[in-house]
Amino acid sequence: MKNWFSTLKTLIWKDLLQEWRSKDMLTAMLAFAILSIFIFNYAMELDPRQRAELAPGILWVVVTFSGTLGLNRSFVAEQEQGSFDALVMAVPGLGSIWLAKQVSNFLMMLVLIIIVLPVYSLLYNQNLLVPGLIFTLMLGAWSFSAAGTLLASMTAQTRMRDLLLPVLLFPILMPVNMAVVKAGAGIMTGAALATYQVWLSLLLVYGIIMTTISLMVFDYVILE
Amino acid sequence: MLSSNKSLGYLAVLAAVFILIAFGLVLFYAPVEQNMGMVQKVFYFHVAAAWLGMLGFVVAAVCAVLYLRIGKLGLDAVAASSVEIGLLFTAIANFTGMIWARPVWNTWWTWDPRLTTMTIMAFTYIAYFLLRRGIDDPVKKARFGSIYLIVGFVTVPLTFFSARLLRTIHPTIFGGANTGEMAMTAEMYFTMGFSICAFSLLFVVLLLARSRLKISEQLLTEREMLEQEEEFGEVSGG
Repeated sequence: MKNWFSTLKTLIWKDLLQEWRSKDMLTAMLAFAILSIFIFNYAMELDPRQRAELAPGILWVVVTFSGTLGLNRSFVAEQEQGSFDALVMAVPGLGSIWLAKQVSNFLMMLVLIIIVLPVYSLLYNQNLLVPGLIFTLMLGAWSFSAAGTLLASMTAQTRMRDLLLPVLLFPILMPVNMAVVKAGAGIMTGAALATYQVWLSLLLVYGIIMTTISLMVFDYVILE
Repeated sequence: MLSSNKSLGYLAVLAAVFILIAFGLVLFYAPVEQNMGMVQKVFYFHVAAAWLGMLGFVVAAVCAVLYLRIGKLGLDAVAASSVEIGLLFTAIANFTGMIWARPVWNTWWTWDPRLTTMTIMAFTYIAYFLLRRGIDDPVKKARFGSIYLIVGFVTVPLTFFSARLLRTIHPTIFGGANTGEMAMTAEMYFTMGFSICAFSLLFVVLLLARSRLKISEQLLTEREMLEQEEEFGEVSGG
């Protein structure tokens, strides 16, 4: 077990270090996210009175769209350099490869959220740095990257790669989208916890189910 | 493994007869609904088609799990065929629903949980075919397809649950809530039951025929690949 954890730690560290050195993924994700916030301003003509309710939805769209960009890249390095086979041979449990990717993708999403939240708050003059909203977004980000990491590991091996991931991912993510938007709107409008608690439970359940399934089937993604 | 040409032919004829009888029952036996009138008759095929849509996806998910366990490519052929048929009938259910909804709900489309869920389910399975198209290796195609089917099958009920939390105006026939319930006579129930049976028979026929075709395709690809390898071997050997 201790061995397994140290493997996991090494793998996560490898991904983060790689990203830290190139910064490819994060810069693209952030630029895209902030541009989308600008686009939303002109597309929706956001009325200050509606903002409180709409903000979580807009924010979540921005986060998932730019997150998809990042997910597309998450297995590319291994694919291009052909280091995937070496990785499979070196690591004792194949599940840990998935979990490491999942955790690093999740951390990447967190960085994105941490930067996008204040930017949105600043541009729209509305404080989004609310603990409840951040917690909801974190739960959502875990579910998002759990489903996304599994699917990206498959699409990276297909001909259409980047084209395919959003088409596969978005129908699967529908419950997460609904839950994050509804719970977020509840938090931002100051509704009672009881009215949106069920959405938080749904997010939790989705995250657990997706993590379990991914761990169960990931062997079949990489085994030849 | 699957039935011979002849018995499949008999089964197809039987399904056709059943569907014709179902037509007759719908048109002449089932009474005209008081409030909605003739348009309600589409309901018998709508429910049957929606049932096949669900059935197709359940069968596909079961085959996907079995494929990952056993690894027989034939199972993948059955899964893919089942999704195709399920998708077709989901589309039919959606369209017949629209025909009914226009006069009754006064709109072609509404963001009702069942409508939304059925459509998202359809998108999930369209994506399944896109994924398959992107992979050349038949074994990898089967494996990835199966994984996606399992993931899709697990998330569809969650989508339904979350959409249901939002709102519903769709009539419930089976043990549902009181809102929007349709009062059905015994003749109506019988017609609906018969039409569901007839459609299920059609499903079996289509599934057998399609799976057989797909398995033949698989065998053909295998043979072609073997021949290519042999040719290549001769060239490089000589």
